[in-house]
Amino acid sequence: MLTAHELTKRYGDRTVVTDLSFSVRPGTVTGFLGPNGAGKSTTMRMLLGLDAPTRGHATVGGRSYAAHPAPLTEVGALLEARSVHPGRTAFHHLRALAHTHGIPRARVDHVLGLTGLTDVAHRRVKGFSLGMGQRLGIAAALLGDPATLILDEPVNGLDPEGVLWIRNLLKSLAAEGRTVLVSSHLMSETALTADHLVIIGRGRLLADTTVTDFVRDSGAATTKVVTPDATALAGHLAAPGVDITTDTPGTLHIRGTDARHVGRTAAAHGIPLYELTPGVASLEEAFMDLTRDALEYPATLEGAAA
Amino acid sequence: MTTATLPYRVTPARVLRSEWHKLWTLRSTWITLAVTSLLTAAMGAGLGAAYDGSGEGGMDPVMFALLGTQFATINLGVLGILATAGEYSTGQIRATMTAVPRRLPVLWSKAAVLAAVVLPLTLATNLLTFPLAQSFLTGTDLSASLGDPGVLRALAGNAAGLTLLAVLALGIGALLRSFPMAIGAFIGLVMVLPEILAMLPYAFVDDAVRSFPGKALEALTTAQPQPGAASPGASLLAMLLWTTAVLAVAAVVLRRKDV
Repeated sequence: MLTAHELTKRYGDRTVVTDLSFSVRPGTVTGFLGPNGAGKSTTMRMLLGLDAPTRGHATVGGRSYAAHPAPLTEVGALLEARSVHPGRTAFHHLRALAHTHGIPRARVDHVLGLTGLTDVAHRRVKGFSLGMGQRLGIAAALLGDPATLILDEPVNGLDPEGVLWIRNLLKSLAAEGRTVLVSSHLMSETALTADHLVIIGRGRLLADTTVTDFVRDSGAATTKVVTPDATALAGHLAAPGVDITTDTPGTLHIRGTDARHVGRTAAAHGIPLYELTPGVASLEEAFMDLTRDALEYPATLEGAAA
Repeated sequence: MTTATLPYRVTPARVLRSEWHKLWTLRSTWITLAVTSLLTAAMGAGLGAAYDGSGEGGMDPVMFALLGTQFATINLGVLGILATAGEYSTGQIRATMTAVPRRLPVLWSKAAVLAAVVLPLTLATNLLTFPLAQSFLTGTDLSASLGDPGVLRALAGNAAGLTLLAVLALGIGALLRSFPMAIGAFIGLVMVLPEILAMLPYAFVDDAVRSFPGKALEALTTAQPQPGAASPGASLLAMLLWTTAVLAVAAVVLRRKDV
């Protein structure tokens, strides 16, 4: 169990994380989502005690990370930035970390095997590809056989085989009852592994929900309706937050309300419907919808609109 | 099998072992240490062989034989700075501090490991270099033997001083977290600043300059006390205080600042 209590982090006059509270439960994969610059990495660093929060606190199993006598057995972490001396071999990097906890050499060999690094264990990290570096980071995270894993963008730089390996690894770790928090800026990737979602934008909590609920409750679903009286129906449906577009005459695509409401409105005004199709939003759409206002660097589409 | 499976936990001895392992698994360590020893011995032998016996007198035989430790000062400073600032530039510090989130045991262990390596190495190098240089100096005014008063003390004092300088550099590296900044500060403090201050026409500045680590090291390296220099005991104390002070500030900063 991983908990953030009203975490706030300021660097000078820039507030990166504001009053962020959430819990990550054992036995599930929790996706930690937000656009780039939303404060995900900063939050993860605060969970690990690398950065001190300006306000609030974070706990792992009820205590601050640093208060645990064997931190590597509590939390295994893969940070976004490389955390390895390039002049050391993969084996010696892990061996040095293992020494701090009295973790035996056999465990070092085991995690090297688990991450497919046995053959390159005695090569210096300097020559590692991005994917190999990522695997070494994951090997380090697994070293203490931790109850909780915090992984910052773990699929970055991995080839398709590596991505698949990570997905299965995360699922199996959660299935063993561990707490798994995985950050990403890609909703579609996260949806393949995560059960639960913590979404932040500009350092604030936007949603703390399950993947299923998130999609269902999202206003991003588009209802398609075909009617001979499109103009009248559009007029009756018009309301704040409802977005109606049309591509072919007589066909409306309605966002911001659901099929049930569209059907009732049509019936109430005696408008015949030839087709009424409730749409399910893609996760990516729902995510973009939620974080649109919280983008640090929103892209402008003016040029593309023509 | 003696692998009694003690529960995994962080202990000071284990952090020490981890830092020992880290130091020896980098090529830079082996290279720096080898170069330090070889340069010191080669300089001692070279200077001894080149000495024509027509010195103006007053040159200390130990100081003469160990002139190569000028390079050792920089080399060992680099080694100390790499141990700390090097972890920040590579990102290794994040792994280190995640394993030992209480942080301070890491700094103490790094300092202890460095001292435990540098002291025996410099001592052995000095004990070898002095007779080596002397083998060329028989019959000159610099002729001396290991048994002469003050010689052993100066050889050991130099080793102790170099060790403290290396640890001082390690503290500066932990404080500044950047190799270029730390090496600049180290050379400035040890080599440049005392020379600049000595040019000032105030008596109290002269006293202060004698307590600077570089000057104190010179005083420690002479078999016979030089006029105007601090005593070996006072010099060692001054260096100890410098190193302790820098390490203490580094510890406070390490506790407070984000990694």
